[in-house]
Formats: sequence, structure tokens, C-alpha cells
Amino acid sequence: MKIDVRHTAKLAKLWLNENEIADFEKQMNEILRIVETLPELPDDGFLLDPENVMSLRPDIVEPSLSRSELLANAPQKQAGCIVVPKTLKEGI
Amino acid sequence: MSLFQKTATELSGMLKSKQISAAELINDVFARIDAVEDKVQAYITQTRALALSQAEKVDERRQKGEDMPMLSGIPLAVKDNIGVKGIPLTCASKMLQSYIPPFSATVIDVLADNGTIITGKTNLNEFAMGSSGETSYFKMTRNPQNLDHVPGGSSGGSAAAIAAGEAVISLGTDTGGSARLPASYCGVVGLRPTYGAVSRYGAVAFASSLDQICPMGRSVADVSALFSEICGPDKMDATTANRGYLDFTASLDGEINGMIIGIPAEYFSDAIDADVAKLVMDAVRVLEREGAVIKQISLPSTGYALPAYFIISAAEASSNLARFDGVRFGHRANEYVNVDELIEKSRGEGFGDEIKRRLMLGTHFLSAGYYDKYYKRAALMRRRIQAEFEAVYQDCDCIVSPTAATTAAKLDENMDDPAKRYSADSCTVAVSLAGLPAISVPCGTALDGLPVGLQIIGKRFSEEQVLKMAYRFETATGGPKSLSVINQ
Repeated sequence: MKIDVRHTAKLAKLWLNENEIADFEKQMNEILRIVETLPELPDDGFLLDPENVMSLRPDIVEPSLSRSELLANAPQKQAGCIVVPKTLKEGI
Repeated sequence: MSLFQKTATELSGMLKSKQISAAELINDVFARIDAVEDKVQAYITQTRALALSQAEKVDERRQKGEDMPMLSGIPLAVKDNIGVKGIPLTCASKMLQSYIPPFSATVIDVLADNGTIITGKTNLNEFAMGSSGETSYFKMTRNPQNLDHVPGGSSGGSAAAIAAGEAVISLGTDTGGSARLPASYCGVVGLRPTYGAVSRYGAVAFASSLDQICPMGRSVADVSALFSEICGPDKMDATTANRGYLDFTASLDGEINGMIIGIPAEYFSDAIDADVAKLVMDAVRVLEREGAVIKQISLPSTGYALPAYFIISAAEASSNLARFDGVRFGHRANEYVNVDELIEKSRGEGFGDEIKRRLMLGTHFLSAGYYDKYYKRAALMRRRIQAEFEAVYQDCDCIVSPTAATTAAKLDENMDDPAKRYSADSCTVAVSLAGLPAISVPCGTALDGLPVGLQIIGKRFSEEQVLKMAYRFETATGGPKSLSVINQ
């Protein structure tokens, strides 16, 4: 099967330049050709490791990083908040 | 012999007996960095001032008579996808070019408390995706054994740094082979621990069901010492197994007499360079002389490991890397008209081609209508591969294979053929899918003058056996390899 690069890029939220699409398409179709060699196997359940189960910790609120530490890496901020473009359209 | 050429085990003894100070050692290693880093390009960030002040603190603690752990004062290079509080963490990506982590990874906290000295953050394939070491946004690391060749990836900087004497030990990560492969290419030792043996908290996630933080060094004893310090349960990583561990350096020198080594036919096929296969079989003979019993085995689904790995890792990456949206941290595009465009352009500008390719394929594998065809098939194949290992381990203590089918490629080779580049991981991905521990230890030099790695694969949580076998091999073949000469 062939991949629709424009559609997939949209789903993956990736902006591509028009001139990149042909190369991506060729390379990704080649990879698909390889992964499509996987056979269909009977679904006999997934492996669990009973000796090393994942442990969950209680959900307790504990002291964490301060707001200023957490905001230090934000690309644009104002009055202790992260700035983003409007997400609602005019008139709604 | 200069200090930078010695192993952590040797240096630890010298520090303990006050023959040298930690400050002297770190100065010697930075002098070496000054001499060769221009050629090797192992580091993205060097932390010289911090290292020196850490070393002085270690010396003070020792002067006061404090009993310091084995790796205190030992210079450690850290792959730049593992967070150290206050030091830039880039993942070799434009996306994280100016990111400063507000917390350290658990492994870093443990090592820093023990007085291990961080020399800097090492280069990698962007976001740890790739096996050549060539897709960093910042620079191309070269193989210290031959500067015209790749160091392997993705932990290329961590392997090259120790191979060049620019650090004594290092931390890498391994998702499909990213620590073992560069260890093999650069002629050093790299251990991928059992899934769940080491906390990943603070390491940037690529594929969470596969990622592991890995100890690397120039000797098996050094890798054992580093592994002994970083393994163990962590409440910040729920996938860490709740179990106790021994000091692995104490059991290294044990007998391997009577241990059964499986030789899987599928790992010695025509796809493996004859030269590489010969050196690995020579290594098997060495282990046989040391008392191990050799048994021919078969792991029939080995050929399907690479496609299954690619689907699972790309699918998980597409989910994990969704956090890079240009909103809370990381690169943000300058021009956009709405929030969708902000996210798409920030990601389009911030990620390199290899990341985009994998994120798009991962998204495709998980998208409506394709899940059964790709992800489910891969998950079931993973289950089968695990079952095949389990069956073989009924009659074997460990499995031996080449780490890589070839020696390190020349720089820029295969850059335009991603599918061909992915096949470099053909001997390492099955181990990752099965969650097993495996070590790559140097086993000789091929006809092209480049090192070859022997991969020793154990049962889950059998690092003690794997390290013992690797140590026995290293000892029987003249001990840890000396540093490469960098003369180009």
C-alpha cells in the first residue's frame, strides 16, 4: 500500500515543504514495503511478567517544582501564563 | 600512562589511596578533551567549571575521612537525552536547542550523590533515533578508531568519548541497539540492562516499552561498577522492577565452567560479514576453553524482529513526541496565524527529517483502519520472539552473537537510504523486544582495522551471568583494550 504523505503529516501535526514530499513518499513507501512482510499471527494474548509486576504508588499531592521553574522554558509567557494564539473564532 | 588512559577501577584505587586527587584527574581528562575534541566531536555541552567544583568537593569529603563509593571522583560523560538539572538538554535537536531541565534524571541524582563527576553531555542521533550517529542537529561525531568512520548510534558521543579518553565512563541509552552498536563500532563495552532494571525517569522518552539507560566503559569491571550504582527500583518510574540487586563487581571473577552458551544459527547468516562472524566464533572458542559448553540453537523469528521493532518504536515515538508542540517548552515558530499552525510549524522547523519520517510512519501505523495491519501484528510478533527466547533459555544460560553485522560504515554512507540504515540494528533489536539484558564487548579487529563486538545475551535479570561471562572473555584475551591512537 502507498502512504498519503500530506494526510499523514497533517495527522502528525508536521508542517512539510512541498519540495520535501516526494522524497518522504519514496523513503516511507520503501519502509512500508519492509514492515509489511510481517505475517499475521494467532492472537494468543500478551506476555505478562508475574514476577516483576509494575507497582503503582498512591496518588498523593507532594511538593513539586515552582511555577517559575516550570515556566522558565516556555517560549512566550506573560503574567505567569503561557501565551498562545486565540483558540476560539470571532463571534463564537 | 596518563590518567585519562586508565580505567575507573584503576583510578578508583589511586583516588582511595590518595595517590591522585579528583581535581588532578578531571584536569587531566579536560586536557585530553582539549587535545582531541576538535577531531572526535563527542560533546554537545562540556561542563568543565561544574566538574572541577564537583571534584574539589569529592576531594574535601575524602580528606575529611569519608568512605567514598567506588565511582566518586570518576569522570562520566552523559548522553544528551538524559537530564542534568540546570545543564542544557538538547537531544541533539533544534527542537530543544535552548531547553534547560528543571530536574535531574534519577540515575544522575544517584551518581552525583556518590561523587561521580559529570564532564558534559554527549552527541547522539537526534532524539536517539538512528544507528549511525550522523543525524545530530549540531555536529557529526567521528569514530576515534578511524575518524573517517561513524561512531555508531544513537549513543555515538558516549561511546566515542570513552574510546578517545575524553571521559572514563559514560551513560548511553538503548532502544533498539543504541548503546551496544556504538560500543561495538568504537571498541568499548556497553551493557543494555534488563527492561525494568534501571530507572528512566529524567531520560527523554523515545519508545517507552523499549528504552533503557545503559552503562558504558572501557572495561567490563567499569561497566559493572556503573551498573551496580544505577540499577534498582524508583518510585518515579513505575516500570522499574521491585527487586534487590547485588554489587555486580563482587561476582565478576566467578567461574563459567559448565555454563551453556547458545549459538543461534540466525545470527550467523550470510548477512553477517565473514570477517565479523569469524572473530565472534573465535571468541566462542575462547569461552569454550574457559569451560563453557557450546550448544547450537535456533531463534526462527529473528528475521521479523526488525520490522516489528520499527513499527512498535515508531508508533510509541509518535505518541511520546507529541509533547513537543511549541507551547510549553522547545522551539516555537516565529510566524503562524492560529494555534494549529503554531504547532505544525514549530514541529516542522524543530525536527529533522529522520524524526519526521518516523513520526509520520508511527502515526500511520496507529491510525484508524491500519492498527491491526501494523501495530497488532508487530505486538504479536514481539510476543513470539519473547517466547522463542524463553524456550531456548530452558537449556541455555546465555546466547552469544555478533553485536553488528559489519564494522562501522564510512561517514555519509547510506545517508540517502533509510531502510538500509535501519538494518544496522539487525542483531540487537530482538533483545530489545524481549526486554533481555545484553552486553557488547570488544572481540578483535576486522581486516579493515575496525573493532568488532561480541554480544552476550542473558535471561531477564541475569546481568550477573552476562557480566561474568564478558569479564572472563576480556580477561582471557588480555584484559581491557587500550585507548585508540587519534592521529589523523
